[in-house]
Amino acid sequence: MTPPRLTSARQPLRLLQDRVATGLITAGGVGVLLAILAIGIFLVWEALPLLAIGDTLALAKLSPLAWGTLKAALAALLFAIPVALGAAIYSALFMSPRLRTRIKPALEMMEAVPGVVVGFIAGLILAPWVERHLTSALVLIIWLPLSAGLAGLLWQLAKTRLRRRLPLSWAGLWLVPWLVFMVAIALWLAPWFEQQWLGGDLRHLLDQRFGIDYATRNAMIVGIAMGFAVIPSIYSLAEDALADVPASLIEGAQALGASRWQALWKVALTAAGPGIFSAVMIGAGRAVGETMIVLMASGNTALFSASPFEGMRSMAAAIAIELPEASPGGQTYHLLILAALVLFIFTFLVNTLAEVVRQRLRRRYRQMGGIS
Amino acid sequence: MTSASARVVSRAARFSRLNTLWPWLCAASVALSLLMLGALLTLLLVRGLGHFWPATLEEVTLSSGETFAGHAVREVPLPQQEGDERLYFTGNQDIEGARWRWVAIEQIVERAQPTDLIRIDRSPWGDFIGHLVAIEQGDQRWAGDAAWQQLTALLALPASQRQAGQLLLTTVDGQTLRQPLANVASAQAPNTMAWRQKTYAWGEGVWRFLSEGPRAANTHGGVWPAIFGTVLMVILMSVIVTPFGVLAAIYLNEIAHQGRLTRLVRIGVRNLAGVPSIVYGVFGLGVFVYGIGGSLDEWFFSDTLPSPTFGTGGLLWASLTLALLTLPVVIVATEEGLARIPEAQREGAVALGATRLEMLTRIVLPMAAPAMLTGVILAVARAAGEVAPLMLVGVAKLAPQMPIDGEFPYLHLERKFMHLGYHLFDTAFHGEDVQAAIPLVYATALLLVLIVLMLNITAIFLRHYLSRQRGNEC
Repeated sequence: MTPPRLTSARQPLRLLQDRVATGLITAGGVGVLLAILAIGIFLVWEALPLLAIGDTLALAKLSPLAWGTLKAALAALLFAIPVALGAAIYSALFMSPRLRTRIKPALEMMEAVPGVVVGFIAGLILAPWVERHLTSALVLIIWLPLSAGLAGLLWQLAKTRLRRRLPLSWAGLWLVPWLVFMVAIALWLAPWFEQQWLGGDLRHLLDQRFGIDYATRNAMIVGIAMGFAVIPSIYSLAEDALADVPASLIEGAQALGASRWQALWKVALTAAGPGIFSAVMIGAGRAVGETMIVLMASGNTALFSASPFEGMRSMAAAIAIELPEASPGGQTYHLLILAALVLFIFTFLVNTLAEVVRQRLRRRYRQMGGIS
Repeated sequence: MTSASARVVSRAARFSRLNTLWPWLCAASVALSLLMLGALLTLLLVRGLGHFWPATLEEVTLSSGETFAGHAVREVPLPQQEGDERLYFTGNQDIEGARWRWVAIEQIVERAQPTDLIRIDRSPWGDFIGHLVAIEQGDQRWAGDAAWQQLTALLALPASQRQAGQLLLTTVDGQTLRQPLANVASAQAPNTMAWRQKTYAWGEGVWRFLSEGPRAANTHGGVWPAIFGTVLMVILMSVIVTPFGVLAAIYLNEIAHQGRLTRLVRIGVRNLAGVPSIVYGVFGLGVFVYGIGGSLDEWFFSDTLPSPTFGTGGLLWASLTLALLTLPVVIVATEEGLARIPEAQREGAVALGATRLEMLTRIVLPMAAPAMLTGVILAVARAAGEVAPLMLVGVAKLAPQMPIDGEFPYLHLERKFMHLGYHLFDTAFHGEDVQAAIPLVYATALLLVLIVLMLNITAIFLRHYLSRQRGNEC
């Protein structure tokens, strides 16, 4: 079929249209990029008047907030890093591929749960429960990893037929009921444990013996809640990095006599190290900037305290609470904008670092011939 | 020599035995994550939907001879003593001054479930729990069973057709109350209800939650204005973000010179997705609300000036802020779609004499359409769950007016609006009676999670469909 011949009269029009459209797209694209750039410029511009005021006040106001932000992020990472990396290692290297295609989106769904909902559960449901059952909560934190190890030991002692029925590659799924069972046992035994060893009331004991106050909404609660929100982003990136490790590396290590775990630990983890690092960085960026969870689960008291049982006030939460009331142009307004600038620069730097590391890693894998 | 090597071997063996436990710890972290997600969703589902199930009312007699009626909510151990105490929802705030009552279980002498106990939902004081004695309408008077039948018949009518009247009510301990019929929203006698009636009442409750506005300081009624506000804001936002995001992606991928600068810009855009949402809120407040909004007020609305029109948070500013926030999401998703289109397609089009515009609109954009759609859906999902920036640029606890109405210009961009996420936060943390509001907070949270999850699942399926389609072509 021959294409219909265009009349020569339309030719200049087409070219003109093309020029105009290209120009428009360029203008639009550059405009959008400039708008994005404007965020940084605006924050710097509005924070500048603080230089005239002098830095002692700014320091006095911002340092407890910075401390609170770091404390909350640390608490969250303390919980999220082991769980997310463990999950990433397992699902990249041990899980059956069929299960993996299901589990990975399910875990990434965790990221979609809005921060308000997590904050509400943490602040109004979890925090009062933990306050009433502090021992149970602490026992659970220690007991759960132990019970996972126990499952492994029992599995090794079990008969071959049972082992084949419940393979390691599906353990991510069938360990769920096991963990539920273990949680039930821990909750059942915790009051007895408290009665026997801790004199009946752990909070009383903490207060009397160590002088530790217990606030209902504290760093531990924030850590658990924000950890929940951060786990999926760390998991997703770390899992990608681990799954992309060229199989030839692991096979080579095993051919040289390494056990499976040695091959994974010494070879796969080392190769994927930069990717895991960038995953943790992105998680840290998210934990620092998360607003609603800290706002709802931390009690918002600007304290300098390292105790995991006391609250804090983070920069993001302070902005959300105080900025609507601050008069534009006033000192508080500029201070809060400075806080926003700090958050912006910090997350931007952390994310850029993570992205650069990840791109370099991808290039390295390509050189190894792992990625097609 | 031999014993030393044996010791080394045995140590290595023990070490490897320990090493085999590591995979189990890793597997347990997957299981733990799944467990937490499942527990969260189950909790929301059970508590959010369970609230609308008509609870059985009890008449409780205490050892002191006192009686009251209500439904049991939960039990906790008594502080510093043996035994448990139980929380009852008793309603009747206008008579007793409180809606809740804690009683130690050992003080309870008798628990009965009389069939004539009813629960009435009224607008100023919330629930009434007690007996219906009579209905008076004009000179007519119904008493006993006839009164209950008359009441259900009246409440089945639309509110505008009900005649004025009064209910004569008594509480369980004998206090009487006259309740104007106009303030009654609904009435239930849950103790006589069969299973099917309860299901019906449950469905009605869910529907009322979705379709009504909040009442009684957010402890009653529904979330319809919040749903409406959220949806409207999200629609406005996607109208703004889609063209700009797509333009920027086309520019970056198709027109810009693919050099070092473009790579830097691309990394920058990608990173903006990780910038905390509150920072966007600050930008929106400073630039949109105080900057542009303030100037608009000076130029066009100077007659009303001390009270701002556009110079305060509103629908338009919220949509713009969220559009900026979700711009990176759309750009990244569209760019991924564009990059996946084989270069041969573009070259083929150009070789056949198409200009760049024709190549883009006829070949490239249709092929990248599902990717764009994925990006927009992800953006909508992110925007629907985002609350922090909205606290700065325009949500309200209780918006007096809806942002769309019959008044010219119909869509009021300057008005404040209600948002599901902020409604949740506000009801849960700033309410007067948090205890009474919590069931509705659960229901709101469930609704929000369902909306966001649904959007995300749609995006995942689209992306899956997209990659499969691409797989067939290559």
